[in-house]
Amino acid sequence: MKTKLLSEKWWMTLLTAAGLLSAVNVFADPPAANPSPASALPFPLIERFENYTEKDGLPAHKAHAVLKASDGRLWVGTYNGLLVRAQDGTYHRYGPEDGLSHKMVMCLVEDPQTGDIWAGTMRGLNRVSGGRITAYYQTDSGLPNNVVYGVGIREDVLWVATAAGAGALNLKTGSWKIYDHNNSIMHEPWCYSIACAKDVVYIGVWGGGIVEHDPKLGTFKEYRDPDGDFQYILVPDSGPINDITSWVAWDDGVLWQATYFGLARYDGARWRTWVAAKSPLASDFVNFVWSHRHVGWVGTDRGVSVTDGSTWVNYLVGEHGEGLMEIHRPNQPVEKRTMTTALPNSFVLGIYVDDDDVWFATSNGLSHGVFAPHSKPATVAEAR
Amino acid sequence: MKPGGSVILSTLVLIGSAGVGVGGYGWSVAHVRRWSGRQDLNFVTCDHCHFVKLERMPWAQPRAHHPSPAGMAVSPDGRHLYIALDDVNQVVEADTATRAITRRLTIAGGPFGLALDSQGEHLFVACRDRDQVVSVSTREFTPVESLGVGTAPVALAFCQTKDGPRLVVANSMSDDASVLAVSPLREIARPETGREPYGVAVSADGKLAFVVSRLAWSPHFKTPSASELTLIYTPSGRVMKRASLASAHLSEAVASVPGRDWELAPLVKVRNLVPITQVANGWVMSSGLAVSDKLGRVVQVPLDEANDYFADPSGIAVDAAGRRAYVASGGSDSISVVDLDRLANWLAKADAPTKRAAARDLTLSAQYVIDRLPTARNPRQLAISPDGRTLFVAERLNDSVLEVDTAGLRPIGRIVLGDGGAADPIRRGERVFTQAGHTFQRQFSCRSCHPDGHVDGLAYDFDGNGIGDNFLDNRSLQGVAGTEPFKWNGLNPSLEVQCGVRFARVLMRTDPIPPADLKDLTTYLKHLPPPRWERKHNQPLTPAQARGRRLFFATQQPDGTPIPRARQCQTCHRPPLYTDRLMSSVGTQSPGNPHEMFDTPHLLGIGQTAPYLHDGRARTLEEIWTTYQTNDLHGVSSYWNKHQLNELVEFLKTL
Repeated sequence: MKTKLLSEKWWMTLLTAAGLLSAVNVFADPPAANPSPASALPFPLIERFENYTEKDGLPAHKAHAVLKASDGRLWVGTYNGLLVRAQDGTYHRYGPEDGLSHKMVMCLVEDPQTGDIWAGTMRGLNRVSGGRITAYYQTDSGLPNNVVYGVGIREDVLWVATAAGAGALNLKTGSWKIYDHNNSIMHEPWCYSIACAKDVVYIGVWGGGIVEHDPKLGTFKEYRDPDGDFQYILVPDSGPINDITSWVAWDDGVLWQATYFGLARYDGARWRTWVAAKSPLASDFVNFVWSHRHVGWVGTDRGVSVTDGSTWVNYLVGEHGEGLMEIHRPNQPVEKRTMTTALPNSFVLGIYVDDDDVWFATSNGLSHGVFAPHSKPATVAEAR
Repeated sequence: MKPGGSVILSTLVLIGSAGVGVGGYGWSVAHVRRWSGRQDLNFVTCDHCHFVKLERMPWAQPRAHHPSPAGMAVSPDGRHLYIALDDVNQVVEADTATRAITRRLTIAGGPFGLALDSQGEHLFVACRDRDQVVSVSTREFTPVESLGVGTAPVALAFCQTKDGPRLVVANSMSDDASVLAVSPLREIARPETGREPYGVAVSADGKLAFVVSRLAWSPHFKTPSASELTLIYTPSGRVMKRASLASAHLSEAVASVPGRDWELAPLVKVRNLVPITQVANGWVMSSGLAVSDKLGRVVQVPLDEANDYFADPSGIAVDAAGRRAYVASGGSDSISVVDLDRLANWLAKADAPTKRAAARDLTLSAQYVIDRLPTARNPRQLAISPDGRTLFVAERLNDSVLEVDTAGLRPIGRIVLGDGGAADPIRRGERVFTQAGHTFQRQFSCRSCHPDGHVDGLAYDFDGNGIGDNFLDNRSLQGVAGTEPFKWNGLNPSLEVQCGVRFARVLMRTDPIPPADLKDLTTYLKHLPPPRWERKHNQPLTPAQARGRRLFFATQQPDGTPIPRARQCQTCHRPPLYTDRLMSSVGTQSPGNPHEMFDTPHLLGIGQTAPYLHDGRARTLEEIWTTYQTNDLHGVSSYWNKHQLNELVEFLKTL
């Protein structure tokens, strides 16, 4: 008994000492040495934001989706039509009067072969081809439902995530297939997003996690939140962070899951999950994620987080509208910077990223993120 | 037997016969009503439902084949002309000097379109019925390579680009184009085009391909239609522009004009919203030429004259100097010669409103059409020698190629491919079908609305009630045999009546087609098979198509509720023709229709004949049930989910 008491005292002393040391560390000034420069980060930093609002010609304050096409033109899905900005800076808006199925454009994808832009709206799917719009509705085509939340293209098949299942349009035969709770493993038919991977298609299902479909084999595999709890992450890093999937994105072997309860990543072998309380993630309310070179660009209700899973950079909007940048390096203190420019709104609904720049669709305008000088990764062609 | 006995016996036999007749009649009426579920029907002949076999249809029988010239290509040295003979599955090489056939190559699958590479070493062949492109070595005259493309390729063009050589193929039945890399053949992209792309040309610098479509499309059956000129960036296959050809259709060819920033495409100006009885007032249908620049900005100019029309413009060729264009008029057996310098002068002087109105001014053609050259029957495709001195005219229904000296604009000889098929009534009938000489001022032929017997995708105002606004969807003639009566009101009991006197009075505004020609014409029509009949017939269905088939033949709903026989798909659309050849009401009567009953159309090839319903109000098959279904009158569809509708549509497309 005596031995035990001594032991407890010993442990208490140790814990107190550790607590004092950590307190000293927390309240101490940052190390004298500068952190590694921005160029050493695993992804480019945004130097400034160039914002576009209704004053600049945006047809609505709210932008839902943004996409830079392979010809350099920028496509913006807004609350009031589809906007395209040519490389010379001129704008053209497509609205219902031009054949667009509905003014509220929610998602965009480019057919890499033909350059056609596919736009999902609140009422129907649209193919913008050579300036001509062809609208598809649930009543005049095989489209599962008019509410099209997500679009993706894999090989010759266009995939759509709709309020009544996922649809697959074979662009060569014109045939549609529908996948929902009736004929697949899908928990329910309300699909929010599509991510086309190399061999499979990921379907983000509202309340149903992620469904992985192999079109060649015709198989389905479901990824669900292992703890099945909406509010708490009881088993981190073990699967999707939540069953409420708001978006999925895939690039180069890495799948990202956006939920309104955190962020998850799957590299084919291992899951990682993040919530704001236990990580630098700007907010648990994640609207959107864009995957580029293993880096997730995460649109939340409190700004943007960028991460490769280890390093994080957050772009937030301060109380006075100023831009705030937070750089979270592993095992280093947070570096905070004030930016001269900021996102036009912290509610970020859509993101497009490539090696040159980044675009954000927000609740109050469009924003162009200009990268600080950085070394671009060599493309395969350049490396040859 | 005593005389009285024979009278009694005869009376008994008569009474017995009458009894059998009355009883049989009563039984047959009861039989019809029982199996149709309709109490409004009386006696109908047994062949509405029985004894019909597709294999016995006229169009399923062997027929004569003819060496009809389709696509042509001239070798770079001008010494050889290559001619596709789709109906006999051959490509031939002709010596342009001697006009003799020097080599023949059998290529299965209906070789239709031809193109040569820059050096003339490879001939590319679009095989319409096999959905492939075949590369032929011109040295050995043997196929060296083939590649599957879209459905029913009919035309192709070769060009050099910064990224290597390219072939652009117009796939007529899949409404797209295949952009191919060459050596080896490889598809880079398959961009969407207008409906039924039929002609393709490339710009002189090889950067752009221009694809014209044969059929028009309109967002609503009462709005003007438009066909399309599609501009494709050839290195990548990217779509650059989809230019509308307003109120135009049946563009079957397009040509680049060397030295000018132009593409030229013949077209038919169609005013289907004008009551069709106004033919006598002119320009219900007229021929024109679309002049497009490299950005797809189009001006349409007429090719006809105020009182003389040159129907069914088809092929086009432009000389190397870009000074003359030649347009084949398949309906009037002539070539229109267009002076492009004069046309350029007019275009330079005309202001924008004048250009917009140009296609309506039939006096305008006199300013630039400098000659009309007569040909044999049905000139379709054209080719011109590299030096521009010789024009080759494929006289399709004469089995010959006419050579024209372009300097003197006079014929200099013919390459004879066959005897013209005058002994074949089907061939003779096709000649009648494509002949505009039977219509007022030669404004149009049967083919003007029914290209190759198919649909043009339009609804015409047939003015049946005397005040217009009575739209009737144009129905396909392919697979029409055995589906009488005809017309949407079912009043014409035979093709002979349909195409006879009444047709002449209402539509042609001329004397009726002479009886012998009429007989040949109907023979031709009866031998038109449904599209791709051989490939579809008795083919296994995919699981989705099989489920759609079960839905089509369903007799009860999933919960066991019986579907009334009158509202089962199979009752009215009874196989194998998928029609019972009776009138039915499906709840589609509009204020312009005097009654609610319409002829039940057959469904063979239905996937290719949009729009649907009697006035073409349904743009797609889906809309028949999602938008224009009334109280489950057109089949009981209220229990279907979206899966089932999609699967039914997939099944219908297999017919």
